[in-house]
Amino acid sequence: MDFSVVLQFLISGVNLGCIYAALGLGFFIVYGVTRVLNLAQGEFVMLGGMLTVSFYAMGISLLPSILLAMIITALAGAVLYRFIIYPARNSSGVTQALLTVGFAFAIEGIALLVWGWEYQSLPNFLDSPNIQFWGATIFGQTPWVVGSTFFMVIGLFLFFGRTIQGKALRACADERLGAKTVGISTERMALFSFILAAILGAVVGAVITPLTMTSYSIGFPLTIKGLLAAFVGGITRVEGVILGGIALGMVEAITAGLMPSGYYGVIALGILIIVFLCRPRGLLSARGKV
Amino acid sequence: MIRRTVILLMVTIFAIGGLISCAGPAPEASYKIGILVSQTGKFSGLGLQSLEGMGIIVDEVNENGGINGIPLELVVYDDKSSATEVARMAKKLIEVDKVHALVAGTVTALSHSLVSVANEAKVPLVMLSGTALFDDQLGAWCFRPMTYEKDYIDLLLDYLGSDQGIIKLAALLENSSYGEAGKVYLPKSVGDYNMTIVVTQHFDPAATDLTPQLTNIRKSDAQAIFIWGSSPAASFAVKQARIMGIAFPIVTTPSQSAPDRVKAFGEYYEMEPPLVSDDSKLAIWQQLPENDPDKAMCREFDQLVTKRYGHPATTWNGLGAQMMLFIEDGLKRAKVAPTNLEETRSKIRDAFETTKELNLFVGVYTMSPADHCGKVAAKDVLVTFKEDETVLLTR
Repeated sequence: MDFSVVLQFLISGVNLGCIYAALGLGFFIVYGVTRVLNLAQGEFVMLGGMLTVSFYAMGISLLPSILLAMIITALAGAVLYRFIIYPARNSSGVTQALLTVGFAFAIEGIALLVWGWEYQSLPNFLDSPNIQFWGATIFGQTPWVVGSTFFMVIGLFLFFGRTIQGKALRACADERLGAKTVGISTERMALFSFILAAILGAVVGAVITPLTMTSYSIGFPLTIKGLLAAFVGGITRVEGVILGGIALGMVEAITAGLMPSGYYGVIALGILIIVFLCRPRGLLSARGKV
Repeated sequence: MIRRTVILLMVTIFAIGGLISCAGPAPEASYKIGILVSQTGKFSGLGLQSLEGMGIIVDEVNENGGINGIPLELVVYDDKSSATEVARMAKKLIEVDKVHALVAGTVTALSHSLVSVANEAKVPLVMLSGTALFDDQLGAWCFRPMTYEKDYIDLLLDYLGSDQGIIKLAALLENSSYGEAGKVYLPKSVGDYNMTIVVTQHFDPAATDLTPQLTNIRKSDAQAIFIWGSSPAASFAVKQARIMGIAFPIVTTPSQSAPDRVKAFGEYYEMEPPLVSDDSKLAIWQQLPENDPDKAMCREFDQLVTKRYGHPATTWNGLGAQMMLFIEDGLKRAKVAPTNLEETRSKIRDAFETTKELNLFVGVYTMSPADHCGKVAAKDVLVTFKEDETVLLTR
């Protein structure tokens, strides 16, 4: 096989993989602290993209548009936790996950009313040009996607490792009762995790819009992909989520190039089944956990 | 005395009530047409446009006194762009709403989900479907006054062969029932134009990165790409092909001239050589010569759409309107009062089957028991893109 073909598949795989990994990080943050599967994570990505497009169209420059989108999406995350998850905090995990699905449908409906059905787009950030090298093409926005995923991961490592807030979140994730005992407010940490996941989702939404466009209906398919990435890699570790995302992105790129792309779903599900049979907690399960 | 009067009064009231109930239900006041369109989900863009077109025709019909004095009533459900949902809502329309006819008004894949439902329930179904692949399976109750692939494949292949000198073609096909038609018809037709398909690639309707497929195409000795699909992924393919420096002709099946696609992808559609697509005359009616027999019809419809919705008429507005015009024509000839549900459905079906020379936006139709598509004259045109507009391709 031609080197440029292999290179293009790799670039496509890394691009898709970073998108799925970034989506998975949102699941990781919320699940780690609250043990709730937030199935509205894709809607945060949609809101981030649509809000950024709207503010940008009003004449606000790009960075302030993204910041405003992050603030509003963070509010949505806070609303989800405070008014939907918190009142149901004593319910089962399944119930809470279903409540997030209801929230996702509500957000999608509101988005349709506000923005309509049309797809929206943004120009590449800083008009980044497309790059051609060794016969392959890197879209201008791809470095932003990869770079933002990289900085999100670094940021999370520093946050969880070096800040009091981050360590408190980790404490809640590792041992909830023990965290309460030492005076950490688990409810406040849970709220913070939803807000943080929403902010990350908004950033992902803004960054991928120049590549994939956005519309009111992109949330749910993204939720599925992010969930898959998180579970394949191991939802309780950042490294696992990244690995899962990259793996799925590579699978999608390679199957699209080598066989009818309808096989992607079969292969992805096959991988999921094999991983769960061999490693029920994902490829990289959390340290110290059985 | 008083007791006898009260008893007599009660008996009288019950008797009158019994007589009234024996008179049977009040006759239906309208022809009820069940509409299944995608108002949400990935096909909502097309579904909502189709619904707009239907609404315009229904309002015009009712403002002019209905059909034989009986108004048209639409019962609309959202199929959520899901084949499962479309079948479920169709059953509701048939069994609960008791509609006289059904319309599946969005895309091929969803419409074909209803063929068995309509045939089993014996309800006439008018469907929006762009493929003739399953015409022999439409049964007695389904009608498809739409397009044949042959109408636009020939136009596009003739353009590639005669105008561009293409002999080696790449096929990029959508993974859907619409794309299935491409898998069947394209290989059958290319030989007529001295072409061969040197590489075939597929894409998911929800895909946003088609670089692997385009890389395979670029590596082959293809001289042009035929993209077969109606999803936004087909538009991504055009954009990414141009970014990757693929500079040979690209042609696509209809829907690329939808306003939201031109707005989002127009810059790439216009890159040399500009994209060429099949479309209806409605998309470019202003550019038709004055003596074109369809210009007046397109103008009138476009003015109605612009007045009501504030945007020019689109092809899917036209397809939705076309289905309503087909139904209107059938109902006028059926001359059936909508009192008995089964009888009304049956007579409407019979009327649909005897449609003759009906002039609609994308063709002229004559139905028969053997042919429930019945297109006797095609009206497809080739369009290209220039300065953010869809323009008629001059050859």
